[in-house]
Amino acid sequence: MLKLPLIKLEMNDRRRINGPPGGTRPAVFASHLESSSAADRARRERQPTELRKIFLKTGLIPSASGSSYLEFQPSASLAAARETPKSLIPPSSALKLACTVHGPKPLPRSAAFSPNLVLTTHVKYAPFAARKRKGHIRDASERDLGVHLETALRGAIIAERWPKSGIDLTITILEAEDDRWWADAPDSHDASWGMMNVLAGCITAASAAIADAHIDCLDLVAGGVAALVSDDSGDSSTTSPRLMLDTDPAEHRSIMSACVVAYMPARDEITELWLKGDSSKAALENGDARSAHEALIDGAVDAARGAYSVLGDALRESVLQTIQS
Amino acid sequence: MTSPATAAPSVPPSLSLPPSQFARLQPHAYLLAHLSPPPAMNQPSVRANGRAASQFRVTSANAGSLTHTNGSAVVRIGDTAAVCGVRAELLHTEDIASWSVSQSSSATNQSNEAGGQGTDAENEVDRAQIEDLNLLVPNLSLSTGCAPGFIPSAPPSALAQSLSHQILSLLHSTRLVKADDLRVWYQPPNLEHIENEMDVDGGSENRHPREIKAFWVLYIDIMIISLAGNAFDAAWASVLAALRDTKLPKAWWDVDNETILCSEDINEAHKLSLRGMPIASSFCVFEADAAAGWRAVVIPDAEEQNAEKQKKKGPQSRWILADPDGYEEGLTMEKACVVVDKENGKTVILKMEKLGGWTIDTEDLRQLVDISAQRWDEMKQILG
Amino acid sequence: MVGPTASLSNLHRADGSASYKCPATGFAVLGAVNGPVELPARRDALKPEEATVEVFVKPGNAVPGVGEKYVEGILRDVLSTVILRREKGLPRRGVVITLAIVGGEATERGDSYLTLLPALLHAAQLALISAAIPLPMTLATTLLGVTRSGEIIRDPSPAVAKAATSLHAISFSSKGHLLMNESLGRFDFDTWELVRQQAATICRGAATPGSDGDAAMGGTDNAHVDGFVRETVEDHLHRDYNWKLESI
Repeated sequence: MLKLPLIKLEMNDRRRINGPPGGTRPAVFASHLESSSAADRARRERQPTELRKIFLKTGLIPSASGSSYLEFQPSASLAAARETPKSLIPPSSALKLACTVHGPKPLPRSAAFSPNLVLTTHVKYAPFAARKRKGHIRDASERDLGVHLETALRGAIIAERWPKSGIDLTITILEAEDDRWWADAPDSHDASWGMMNVLAGCITAASAAIADAHIDCLDLVAGGVAALVSDDSGDSSTTSPRLMLDTDPAEHRSIMSACVVAYMPARDEITELWLKGDSSKAALENGDARSAHEALIDGAVDAARGAYSVLGDALRESVLQTIQS
Repeated sequence: MTSPATAAPSVPPSLSLPPSQFARLQPHAYLLAHLSPPPAMNQPSVRANGRAASQFRVTSANAGSLTHTNGSAVVRIGDTAAVCGVRAELLHTEDIASWSVSQSSSATNQSNEAGGQGTDAENEVDRAQIEDLNLLVPNLSLSTGCAPGFIPSAPPSALAQSLSHQILSLLHSTRLVKADDLRVWYQPPNLEHIENEMDVDGGSENRHPREIKAFWVLYIDIMIISLAGNAFDAAWASVLAALRDTKLPKAWWDVDNETILCSEDINEAHKLSLRGMPIASSFCVFEADAAAGWRAVVIPDAEEQNAEKQKKKGPQSRWILADPDGYEEGLTMEKACVVVDKENGKTVILKMEKLGGWTIDTEDLRQLVDISAQRWDEMKQILG
Repeated sequence: MVGPTASLSNLHRADGSASYKCPATGFAVLGAVNGPVELPARRDALKPEEATVEVFVKPGNAVPGVGEKYVEGILRDVLSTVILRREKGLPRRGVVITLAIVGGEATERGDSYLTLLPALLHAAQLALISAAIPLPMTLATTLLGVTRSGEIIRDPSPAVAKAATSLHAISFSSKGHLLMNESLGRFDFDTWELVRQQAATICRGAATPGSDGDAAMGGTDNAHVDGFVRETVEDHLHRDYNWKLESI
């Protein structure tokens, strides 16, 4: 019912083809109503510090000055579901996004003078990217992602080399990450955890596209995510939360807090840091003396280092290809 | 291949430009030099992109890779890439303002005789339900950074709107999706025989008429990820491939909850049974001297017979290029689009469009239909 | 069969205007043309050597939607070919054509707009003539439907058009070029050739080889569309120059 105003807004969109005027309802699965125990929860099969593989390729969109395509490796549960399809409900999803850079080009006449390169970022989910159909118009979370992404990249670009110019960076998310396992009800810790993974992917892909557009940067920026999770079904107050890198929210019962960083390894600099959730009281396991915040940031940086190596490989590969041809 | 810069008559030999620069500065002369190389060079006529005039770009299709869709496909035609995702949602008949019970059961008799061409009345009900209830909702987006010039986060450009409309119009006129695939039926229980017989087939005389409780609405969203000309062919192919991949869950009216419930079992889901496989092929006409018609201001091209004679004599003055890329589209005005399907080896034309110029006529269109029919065979292989 | 009616220059504020009504299909269109006008500086960078043609279609009783954008694209492509966009005074300028659908059945979502095309094109063309935009030739458009039994029907009403197996909107120039073909439905090429032949007859009169447009001017054949366009313009000119004719 909360979504109703949004639907109504789209109904009257005369620049698009509209659906039935009365609106439609997403399918409700019978098994969902009965009990969630019927289906098996997706389970993390990676080690806490083990990252998902990232597929990253640059230069796929020739009309753009720079472009990249990024895909996360499907988690074990999703891969199994793909292998032997049984249910129409996917257990989890894997990030897929395309990024393009147009420019540097002169700023429009109407724009104010700028001695530096002006970076504009747009992030848009495809309507079919998430479990819930997304609208055609950018919503608050998409704008939010755009702002975070801009901050992450602005620190890396050597902007004074292009006065009076701008670049447009556009990311289209074809498949997003879930915020939680589909059958779970939102709990007190709940937040849009999936968005943090999406941001990490956006940062890595955007950095690759900017490099592909030959725009000078201090270093490549890689995104990484770490989270404190308490998966034990028992009384979670006694067991301490565990630090996990590159968490897939669908694989965890409860994420207490998560952190995403944009990180430049060559300068050991963080250009963007986003921490969500309450981890002030959490004590780490195994006598880890670090505060939870520190551990989260360190974890996210470790994850970013992993993404950085993929980033470097992808760019090396594309450079080799251009040299050869 | 030698540098086309030297092949072009308009460039003095002393000034040598790299081909890429020449292509940008003199696009028309550049393409013309490729299509009609001087006889001395002894070269075949090819387009600047290395293709023959009626050659399409390398095409690939990949279906079912997106997790959150009922059906999806990625189609690449050269450097143009379209991603299409089909999402099905339910339209309850109680949410339809103009819905009446008589309507819901009127289709009962016809739907039993599924398959084949069906009766006229059935076709009419089929058409009316899909079109009047807005069951197909295609939207194409170019605001993906697919090409410079489309401002991201701006409302759909005129081109995007026009393409969305063309796709909807073609979905309607080809009647690709069958309304019966989209209907969710409910058989009210017969109170005389309790429960047991509810799901048993046969002996339907005593039963209440079946009624439609809901329709599946297909939201067909097409994201053009990369645009390098000929967006329509790629978009339509992606829609077709995604619809062929679409699975709808088994759905039923749940009396207790008074709502529609679906089964998540993939074995109970059904695929759409589409009517044929219409394939679109687009063309554009490149003219050697585009301004020729305009220079002779008051007396434009005389009778077409005249033009036809000239065509056979002098050097070739125009080329019909199949599957134009972005560079070629920018240099041409006249375009054509043919949508064909094949039934038992016979070619059926579903759409034939030609506008923007005056050179294409009957004989050319006949050729284009033949080329489109060949393209259909090719696409059938690709779509599997 | 009741022929279409048209009148020129009914609007006073526009550079040129025309109204066109086709009783057979029921569509009535009011067209206005402004041009050559200065376009915002950004846009003329597109093609410096010729005029930009812009078309706007306003449905009678609804806000314009995606369908109008689509039909605007078709009209722009077709009308661009009959406007001398490189004539003196036209390059880097714009010709703005606004067409209001004032009568006839409302278009549906996903409509092909084929039934409307003849009325829109005729109204646009007459308005262009009224605005004295240089045209190298005129165009004539017709709509033909092929029924299930294979019969070809001229100017089918919306109901007949809906039931037809295929629908064809075909435009010819006054010099006999095929300017536009929009065919939708299910048909084979032989059917289309028949349709094209009939359309040529409707648009340009009986095929008389070698007959020049100027030669036929005296005894204009009322039955074909080309003649109708010519006659409408002639009538209008006659009225406009009435004072001059009388003074001779």
